[in-house]
Amino acid sequence: MTPKKRLLRVLNKQAVDRPPVICPGGMMNAAIVEIMTHTGNLLPEAHMDSHIMANLAADIHRLTGFENIGIPFCMTVEAEVMGSEVSYGSLSCEPKVSKEKYASFTEVICKDIPDLLCKGRVETVLNAIKESAMNYPEIPVIGNLCGPISLAASLVDPVAMLKGLRRDKDNAHRVLNYVSNVIGDFAALMIGCGASVIAISDPTATGEILGPQLFEEYAVRYINQIISTIHQRETKVIVHICGNMNRVRNLLPSIQADAISVDALVNLQKLKNDFPQMITMGNVSTYLLQDGLPDTIKKTTKRLVEEGVDIIAPACGLSTSTAISQIQTLTQAVKE
Amino acid sequence: MVLKKEAFFQQLSDAVFEMDEEKAASVAAEVVANEIDAAEAIEQGLSVGMARAGKMYEEEEYFIPELLLCADAMYAGLDVLKVHLKSSGEVKGKIVIGVVEGDTHDIGKNIVKMMLETAGYQLIDLGRDVSPQKFVTAAKSEQAQMIAVATLMSTTMNGMGEIIQLLENEGIRDHCKVIIGGGPVSAAFAQKIGADGYAANAMEAVRMTKQIL
Repeated sequence: MTPKKRLLRVLNKQAVDRPPVICPGGMMNAAIVEIMTHTGNLLPEAHMDSHIMANLAADIHRLTGFENIGIPFCMTVEAEVMGSEVSYGSLSCEPKVSKEKYASFTEVICKDIPDLLCKGRVETVLNAIKESAMNYPEIPVIGNLCGPISLAASLVDPVAMLKGLRRDKDNAHRVLNYVSNVIGDFAALMIGCGASVIAISDPTATGEILGPQLFEEYAVRYINQIISTIHQRETKVIVHICGNMNRVRNLLPSIQADAISVDALVNLQKLKNDFPQMITMGNVSTYLLQDGLPDTIKKTTKRLVEEGVDIIAPACGLSTSTAISQIQTLTQAVKE
Repeated sequence: MVLKKEAFFQQLSDAVFEMDEEKAASVAAEVVANEIDAAEAIEQGLSVGMARAGKMYEEEEYFIPELLLCADAMYAGLDVLKVHLKSSGEVKGKIVIGVVEGDTHDIGKNIVKMMLETAGYQLIDLGRDVSPQKFVTAAKSEQAQMIAVATLMSTTMNGMGEIIQLLENEGIRDHCKVIIGGGPVSAAFAQKIGADGYAANAMEAVRMTKQIL
């Protein structure tokens, strides 16, 4: 069974020989320093050059044993084309929004989306996906996108954004609809270039930050709006939710994703018991991966497989100082 | 008069707790008009309201947006009252606060800052994406008794250890405590890098600060 077929079968709720082991990319990427210095395909250059981006994504797949190719390596592409300032970081530090374009929801001007998606690094990302899909037909290429609440918080000052979710609901919904359309259209372009799966990470959309009411009103609604755009193109979606999820747990089934990826804080076995229909993904602690003993990594991974977790993956973005051997311990534990 | 004063304090507290900026400002103006002591109104009105909000936050009934709006109401009241303070009031301690280099968001830091200010500390806010050296330089020039540092991303955690190292190199580690917080860090990590404490949330940060300083 090819890695692509295995992942797609899992996302289709079909039987497989064993769970796939992946690291989707985007916020959750495995572009660790050891790989980059070994191969010479370096960040931050890879953020801006489609060929280096595709090469680095392939290096990660090849050297770690993760059964996918994940593109891009940040969650700033969308915010940048929408007008926010981005600093590209360094070899060991990911890009970030250095200044949001708008001070409040009210100020946001909704621009022409096809026009936006011709700008910035959108084409870089699309070409990298195209190149990867061509070179690796048996490996799933995952196109990664910033979730709607996080994108809103990268476009509008985050404090004003959070207040606006309660204070200025009309404008909040107007902007969330706008960013969700940008994300959905970007996803459609990724699919057109050969992405076999889309992954959405929305680290600002946690139960701890928003609380259940705003999580349902905004996060669930707009994540679902994006998912529906992707499903129209017959493509599967993984959604990663950060945090402990205690207060929003009951809302999970209302998210229409084909798999839900969770943080290390979440007990996946319990989650599977509570929601047997849900395809679960996770959640090997990234601290364990960085500092843990190989034997502990192996045991933790095996336990997740035994518990029936559908897709094995790190619980969050990897620390760039993690060693290749630590990640190999994880991927081998799933495969052997 | 006593009753009346307390009624005003209750209204200030309620305005903060109910996220009502306009009410906080207008009640504060009434407090001034009635010649009620501004310091007392801040402490027994606005601060009490903020503490109630903090308690709701701890109990997971209020979340970050609610807490931010409560703070707006508190600051609206404070703006009116502070010009009428008879003395600058007793400052409990000076704290340098910021988010380490490479980090994007500072929502959590703003909440911690707000709660520490409410508790009577003076905060020097360095913002987000702050280099370890900048923390130490600020702590030195401001003669701060504590550095409160947060991170949201595991990739930037190591900057926290660097701060402590730099304080030691400068020979001011004994005079400057360090507490850390944020998603990826833990009490164990705090111990590992030699920080004085780890706080999981803003309310804990206040409790810890009171203990340490």
